[in-house]
Amino acid sequence: MNRFDLLNKLQNIFKDNLVICNIGLPSQELYKINDQPNFFYMLGSMGLSSSIGLGLSLSQNKHVISIDGDGSVLMNMNTLATIGNRAPSNYTLLIIDNGSYGSTGDQRTFTDEDTSLKAVAIGAGCKNVVECSGEETVNELSKAIDDQDHSYVIISKINSGNVKIDPIPLNPITIRDRFRKFIGIVKYL
Amino acid sequence: MKISKKIIANLKEGGVDFYLSVPCKLLANMIDILEKDKDVYYSSVPREEEGMGICAGAYLGNKFPCIMMQNTGIGNSVNAIVSLLQLYQMPVVFLVSYRGTPGEPVGAQGGMAKITEDILQTLRIPMLHCSSENDLEKISTFSKHAKVIESPVAILCDFNLMKED
Repeated sequence: MNRFDLLNKLQNIFKDNLVICNIGLPSQELYKINDQPNFFYMLGSMGLSSSIGLGLSLSQNKHVISIDGDGSVLMNMNTLATIGNRAPSNYTLLIIDNGSYGSTGDQRTFTDEDTSLKAVAIGAGCKNVVECSGEETVNELSKAIDDQDHSYVIISKINSGNVKIDPIPLNPITIRDRFRKFIGIVKYL
Repeated sequence: MKISKKIIANLKEGGVDFYLSVPCKLLANMIDILEKDKDVYYSSVPREEEGMGICAGAYLGNKFPCIMMQNTGIGNSVNAIVSLLQLYQMPVVFLVSYRGTPGEPVGAQGGMAKITEDILQTLRIPMLHCSSENDLEKISTFSKHAKVIESPVAILCDFNLMKED
């Protein structure tokens, strides 16, 4: 299973939640599969999906799923400590770990060598850290969202590989405003 | 404590209700005040760039965020400011302890001090430079301005001003 297959399988879970999606191919694939206003596509700032989702979950009550990648988490690993100490129960970090920098041509990341993001997350203080296969991710993500008392970090181990895809045509303010409209903040659209 | 109390009161008057910091000794009193304040959210964070991301999420969730940091933190955050906060037009207040300005005992802070305003100008971030107590009254209007123009703004607090706190 690669990331495109996994994102396809998770559509039913995403539809009622706020989704922050990592820059590059993850956002482009999510957009192509089933564009929704409750998806916030990152167009820049690699590494910050986990952090944006954390801030959002601290600021309102809907459940937030941050879709991140192994390369991006390696770039902003300090935020795992913030998540470990501050994440509220309406927060789930989904790390799609394919051991590769997919958007830049599938160069290997350190998770394809000796680094375990599960061990890092636990060491950083994160609770409910789950490492699972792509097939198991649907079930694990559902459980994380249904548990209203705890935050989760799910590391979904999948194969690398991308589908050919175009950049997202939406402009950033459109992404921002329709997302905030979904939450109930923007009234003018 | 008098200076810190005025700064926080003015930020709150300006609508800021979500605070992060990467600590600095010049921010210590403000952090003490915020840790005891039940009306607003406060947390420390390990790194400023990450803080920009958390502020972006807080804005999406209808908070008005402020990140408190040394001017060195601006250097750590340039891409997050441009490719996230400015790209999506998100108002965030940067409350910056301006290390390396006169009164500073640590010479090594001078390097970032010399280029801090140049960086902010290059990024087209509006600045409010506070060098005396009278300047602090401008903070609430300046913060509200960030929301109106949907942009990050920076408040620079000189070393000697904060030293008197």
